[in-house]
Amino acid sequence: MRNFILRRLLQTVPMLLLASLIIFMLFAKTPGDFIDGNITLTAARAAELKAIYGLDQPLFTRYLHWLGQLLRGDLGFSLQYQIPVSQLLNQYIWNSFLLASVALVFYWGIGLAVGIASALKPNSLFDHLVSVAVFAAMSFPTFFLCLLLIKWFAVDLHWLPVGGMTNTGSDDSGLAWMMQVAAHLVLPVMALVMLQAGSLTRYFRASMLDVVKMDFIRTARAKGLRERTVIFKHALRNALLPIITLLGFELPGLFSGAIITEKVFNWPGAGHIHIDSLAARDYPVLMGFTLFLAVLTILGNLLADVLYAWADPRIRVRS
Amino acid sequence: MARLLNRLTTTPTHFTLALKIALLSSVVAFSGAAFADEPLKEGITPATDASQVPAAAKLRKDTVVAGISEPQGIFNPYFFVNGWDENVTNVIFSRLIDWDSHGKLVPGLAESWTVSPDNKVYTIKLRPNLTFSDGSPLTAEDVAFTLTVLYDPKYDGDTDITLANIAGGAEYKAGKADSVSGLKVIDPLTLQVTTTQPGATTLSKIGGPVLSKAYYGKDYQRGNLDYLRTLHGKPLGNGPYVYEKYIPGQEIRFHANTHFYRGTPPTPRFIYRVTNPSTNFQLFQTGETDYDAFTSRPDDIEQLKLLGFANINLYGSSDYSQVEFNVRRPALQDVKVRQALIYGLDRQKLIDVVYQGYGKVAIEPIAPISWAYNADGVNPYKFDPTQAKRLLDEAGWKPGPDGIRVKDGKRLELTLLASKKVLNDALIPIAKENWQQIGVLLKPQVVDFNALMAQRKSGNYDLASFSTSTLNDPHDGVWDFYSTEAKESGYNNPQVDKLINDGNAVLDIEKRKPIYHQLYTVLAEDPPVIFLGYRQILSASSARVTGFKPDIYNGLTGSLPNVKIVK
Repeated sequence: MRNFILRRLLQTVPMLLLASLIIFMLFAKTPGDFIDGNITLTAARAAELKAIYGLDQPLFTRYLHWLGQLLRGDLGFSLQYQIPVSQLLNQYIWNSFLLASVALVFYWGIGLAVGIASALKPNSLFDHLVSVAVFAAMSFPTFFLCLLLIKWFAVDLHWLPVGGMTNTGSDDSGLAWMMQVAAHLVLPVMALVMLQAGSLTRYFRASMLDVVKMDFIRTARAKGLRERTVIFKHALRNALLPIITLLGFELPGLFSGAIITEKVFNWPGAGHIHIDSLAARDYPVLMGFTLFLAVLTILGNLLADVLYAWADPRIRVRS
Repeated sequence: MARLLNRLTTTPTHFTLALKIALLSSVVAFSGAAFADEPLKEGITPATDASQVPAAAKLRKDTVVAGISEPQGIFNPYFFVNGWDENVTNVIFSRLIDWDSHGKLVPGLAESWTVSPDNKVYTIKLRPNLTFSDGSPLTAEDVAFTLTVLYDPKYDGDTDITLANIAGGAEYKAGKADSVSGLKVIDPLTLQVTTTQPGATTLSKIGGPVLSKAYYGKDYQRGNLDYLRTLHGKPLGNGPYVYEKYIPGQEIRFHANTHFYRGTPPTPRFIYRVTNPSTNFQLFQTGETDYDAFTSRPDDIEQLKLLGFANINLYGSSDYSQVEFNVRRPALQDVKVRQALIYGLDRQKLIDVVYQGYGKVAIEPIAPISWAYNADGVNPYKFDPTQAKRLLDEAGWKPGPDGIRVKDGKRLELTLLASKKVLNDALIPIAKENWQQIGVLLKPQVVDFNALMAQRKSGNYDLASFSTSTLNDPHDGVWDFYSTEAKESGYNNPQVDKLINDGNAVLDIEKRKPIYHQLYTVLAEDPPVIFLGYRQILSASSARVTGFKPDIYNGLTGSLPNVKIVK
């Protein structure tokens, strides 16, 4: 097992290097740079600024410079925020992480419960109702759903805040602060859960149904085991195997921010800085953030593989 | 500012649309015919029912909350990148010289100033007993330090001080001198600035916010500004409010500056809360903000009126939208073709569609709120396809078999670079159809703003649609047409060059007016761009506060010293 993990870790090094090259080239080759977008500059001033930021250097020099920074653990300096990229990300990604992880717990919980329940009685009334609800929730445009929730719960009923993460001007700390954040979390989490639970429910349901049809389940039933034991002990574990991979892919999503949901609810997350940086061609942020997500994706994959190996002994044996 | 404007005008339509759908039920149900079809007048429309102020807002006894879109945390007036941070620094820092609501210069921290007869030497007199918000004195030394920093070779902010042509600035920048020779502190209250050439915008460049030398200049050495970055989040200023705290993505807090030179502002606390166009109406409606800017569209205005407690303020912006000609392209070199394209475009229809009554067709590179605006005798290019066709005929472009005009075997096909925004969403189909009728084939290319600017710079375009940034002086609207600056478009007209020079060489507004009027007339005859429109800006404040009276030159911060909570 240790060898397996070590080997997988080593494999990530060239992968990361390749990712950094692709990311750099992708952004550096996008037409327009940080200075180009500013129409108030005279040509002379624009040239001066490009020299200060090193944007007049050849591509390869810029890449090596960036790579050198990365190896020193330095993500660079944001052009438009004028602070180190790591500090900038630190200001926002934890908020995204909080929102996404709370939502994740809910939609995985709901997805699992509903998926199992409808697999227990396929084609029952409950199963059909779930299907309809799932498709209804999935087909809502995100921003529309968000605005609808705001209209109902914040504007009409005054139950919950319209947006933000805390009350404006509040100096609360400790428990009072946590209560405020919790209240502000309700609506965006609700929106995310409604949008995400649907597809996950479908996935779990399908996975469960596949397993339930298998021979060993039939054998278990034939042995006279109780249905509960069959489902939860034999079927569920096998149905969860492909889902582990899915969980691995969720990792970068936890930090990258649900852009529209965060935007509509004024949630101070990472999604909007990514968009902003793209609009302003703030290369250090774009490259740093994208690389961070690439690392998370690779890590998520690694984690999924390890978990998979742990759950399914056949993989360990083969490796 | 360029970036701010780009963002302002690219307000996602989806959000607004969804907002409308989401709120449609209540609006339809409760809006009678009472308000319908009465266009809002420029200026403040007072609230009709102050008792409707939401309870949440009434709870704030000593705090006024205003909405802001995307502050980035660079709270230094010479280093911010986007205009939202400018809104923040304006609260913290006062200017030496301010603008009035028509763009004329008026005293700020400076009590008065005199200009030498050759318009090159400025003597600026500060008000007595000025201090920064920590109580330390503000003197001419601080102003000289501020201007020196702008000449630092590593200075990377948006202010281009070289346009002020201060004597010795270039030498300082190049490392040939240890100070800027044109900056002379006569006494603590008097600064003399010597420039190498007269410039009408020089005074506003010199008269910006003042940085404390004791605070920002402690470690200053030429060529090393890195230490300043650590102070971007800890500003020390002299404006109406003192910076307290920034919570990224959420809010910025201030308290009243007891050392403010015009007296302590009446409201003890002020907060900028981060909002966005999709929910700023709901935040205002539920009382979480007391002030915000909205889209000036009839539906949005109706909704604000329905609230009852909104003081609605409509005012003109100082930018304009335009389509630039690439004069290097053979077809567009011919002035008749350019004129024909303007005559052949129904700009009134475009402006009606986009601004729905709250915008105006532009005819010169300055907005109507400026002292320099004068439309008399300037060709308005009223929509006239017949005239357009005649001009194209005269230019030798004859209709081909499919209706598209041909000359010397070349078809009259033009590319249009445009970024995704509301104005362009309407411009593209209207221009395409209008120009098709006069025999011009339009090929639009929609790209993002930076890509547009990059492609424009490479010269690979025929027409490019983009708006200007906010313009304070008429010179800001025309410098781009100067032959040496118009590198992208290749526009070159010696008469225009001369008039731009003349307009910038005198400081007296009365003498400048006729020069700009003549310049605008010449620009209409030999158009470098198609002027599209001027727009109006809408903001609203809660009836619980008085004193908000923003205009485009001063923004909301100009009102802050007067904003009071109604008891």
